[in-house]
Amino acid sequence: MTRRVVITGLGPVSSIGIGTVEFGAALRTGRTGISPITSFDASGFPHFMAGEVQGFEPTKFVQVLDPSQWGRTSLFAASAARLAVEHAGMDPDRLAASAAGSSIGTTSGESQVIEHLTEQSLAAGFTGLDPALVRQVPASRLAHAVNRELGLTGEATTISTACAASNYALGYAYDLISSGELDYMLAGGADSVIRWAHAGFYRLGALTAEACAPFSQGRSGILTGEGGAVLFLESLDSAVDRGAEILAEILGYGLNCDANHMVAPDSASIAECMRLAHRNAGITAADVDYICAHGTGTPANDSAEARAVVEVFEQPPPISSIKSMLGHTMGAASGFGAIASVLGMTQGFIPPTMNFTAADPDLPPIDPVANRARTAMLRIVQNNGFAFGGNNAIVIFGRAA
Amino acid sequence: MNPTIATPLLSITGWGVLSSTAVGADDFAGTLGTGAEAVAVPDMFDRRLPDERAHVLVDFHPRDYLGRKGTSFIDRSTALAMVGCDLALSDTDLVVDDENRHRVGVVLGTTAGSIASTSDYSRETLTQDKPYLVNPVLFPNAVMNGAAGQCAIRFKLQGINATVAGGTLAGITALRYAGNALRKGYASALLTGAVEEFSPQTAWGLRALRRPGGHSAPVGEGAVVLVAEDPQTVRATGRQCDADVLAVELGFDPTNTTPTGVAAALARCVDRALRRAGLSRDEVWAVSTGQTGAEPDGGPERLAADMLFDPSVRRLRVADLVGDSQAASAAFQVAEVLAHHRTEPVLHGRVSVITAHTADGAVGAALVRGWHRGGRDHRV
Repeated sequence: MTRRVVITGLGPVSSIGIGTVEFGAALRTGRTGISPITSFDASGFPHFMAGEVQGFEPTKFVQVLDPSQWGRTSLFAASAARLAVEHAGMDPDRLAASAAGSSIGTTSGESQVIEHLTEQSLAAGFTGLDPALVRQVPASRLAHAVNRELGLTGEATTISTACAASNYALGYAYDLISSGELDYMLAGGADSVIRWAHAGFYRLGALTAEACAPFSQGRSGILTGEGGAVLFLESLDSAVDRGAEILAEILGYGLNCDANHMVAPDSASIAECMRLAHRNAGITAADVDYICAHGTGTPANDSAEARAVVEVFEQPPPISSIKSMLGHTMGAASGFGAIASVLGMTQGFIPPTMNFTAADPDLPPIDPVANRARTAMLRIVQNNGFAFGGNNAIVIFGRAA
Repeated sequence: MNPTIATPLLSITGWGVLSSTAVGADDFAGTLGTGAEAVAVPDMFDRRLPDERAHVLVDFHPRDYLGRKGTSFIDRSTALAMVGCDLALSDTDLVVDDENRHRVGVVLGTTAGSIASTSDYSRETLTQDKPYLVNPVLFPNAVMNGAAGQCAIRFKLQGINATVAGGTLAGITALRYAGNALRKGYASALLTGAVEEFSPQTAWGLRALRRPGGHSAPVGEGAVVLVAEDPQTVRATGRQCDADVLAVELGFDPTNTTPTGVAAALARCVDRALRRAGLSRDEVWAVSTGQTGAEPDGGPERLAADMLFDPSVRRLRVADLVGDSQAASAAFQVAEVLAHHRTEPVLHGRVSVITAHTADGAVGAALVRGWHRGGRDHRV
């Protein structure tokens, strides 16, 4: 059995807006969600800006979870999933009674919890660890939180393949529905801003000061970000049967690994991943109308990504990076990319690459959709996600027929 | 073989284990039934430990196994995983070369990556003169997919590279993820397994969770890596395998209020797996649970096993041999079943059920039909 798989609900919980209305409007207007860090004391850092979801109140979204028992990242995932179900117009009781599950990607899981425990062990020794916090450590809890919040009895799988993880999770969910294993999936990713990653990116020389400027001349790195990005997936037949609005179709995806370097991207391997994704989706490069870039804003990533694009595409389509607005939301990044791709198809626009100052003469010629969203009819969109460990994941979306 | 049996999800053509008592599959098989004692761990780390003994590799030096190249900055999790992959590759007749390496990948299960690496990195930001004085070379270790990425680099595996965070269910989650990828044709072989490292952080964390009345096995660590391949390809090329994973099913008890509720969700997984494989409960030789003794009554897995299977069905509890090995526990359960098949010819073709669950109510079961290598061992 092979079923077509469609997206009927979107749940963004982000620094530029919560819910599709706010999030979509922010993408169109190029609003950035970067602000001074509040989730940890960043005063000792030369750089102190990030894309935090300011004033995130999980109780506004979750109805079942007790927020005191779950880490911030799990609450992002569960809140985003709740929003996606509402957006899909899916009856929650019917969903809970169905063959339904979740697959959630992440880079750092509940690393905020590990940071708190580390502080506790420094203050009071290891005997001072709070058992209630220890229980919140497993990254598996991200998907568990989704299933618990929505009462789902199908599998709850957390995929921790770093910054490409949401695309892994979307691909896996697509397979499970396509093959008939499950009927509904909540798929996407979640991550939280954390001190140790902020420090690590700074020391790698990959953290910029205030504005992330992907593909631009003089770009100097990422800003860390956070949030939850979850999509509601079902079979085409199911969506038609229940009269749901079909937002987009998942056509296929590709995964590969550089097997070369832990942090330096490899453009040949990325190009190969693009070809794999096209082949699995049954399209050719010429069919792609827009590429939602990984586009971190580091000199190395954007260069490797642009070189891969010109290698694979005879005439590269527009390619923009929403990280210019959100910062790098890590494991949620390609989930937000997926939501932006779908909104671009349903609302007829391409999100801009903000903070773009001038074309980088060292990059091959690409169209980064600089600083202003563009009206466009998008039929097929490619969503890029690359990660530490050389893990590449690309998902292809098609406009709802 | 019963002709009505559905095609297996995946075939295991070799496997590797690194544990406190064994290096490699044959070695591990030799330890069955020996009732390994936990070893003394007084001075393993510069930080105090909660227990005097654990099922761990006290004198583990990655260079002893992996040489100097590429081992300077890797953490314990990564080193264990690399040795596990190396042992698995030396146990299989699969040859990885430039023809197929883009179709060979890694699927590793974890709880939260190397918690010690993450916590130590975090600690540096708190204790250094400046919070950013962390070592950039160690940064990838702190990220959860560090071990899988490093294994891909070491063995030049360019296929799917995935890390699944399943906690105590991780070994089963990894098998399901790998099975899907193989069946969909995304890869032709996947080094599939799980790793857990011993550290002061995890030892103390587990101590904090210990329940009154429980007699948990000492903390354990290790790596288990299975060479998972597409069953039809293996058969078409006339190759033999150590086992067929017939089905892997996962589920969730969203209420997670009672052991019986979790047990019922687990029992549904087992029955679904049996149905998919066209088997009945009375064809099962053994059921392996992830019981560690932490739960006084044996917990939901024991309940499910007793609900489903007659007492004559053999009970396996690998924690007695390898301790409470967390993310590696379900993978160790698979290894124990495979070890029985390697040493006991009479079990040729018998079927086992492997169960696992997490504290949050996630459950899973794998159905494994094992084969004895006997005289057809490709290494002979």
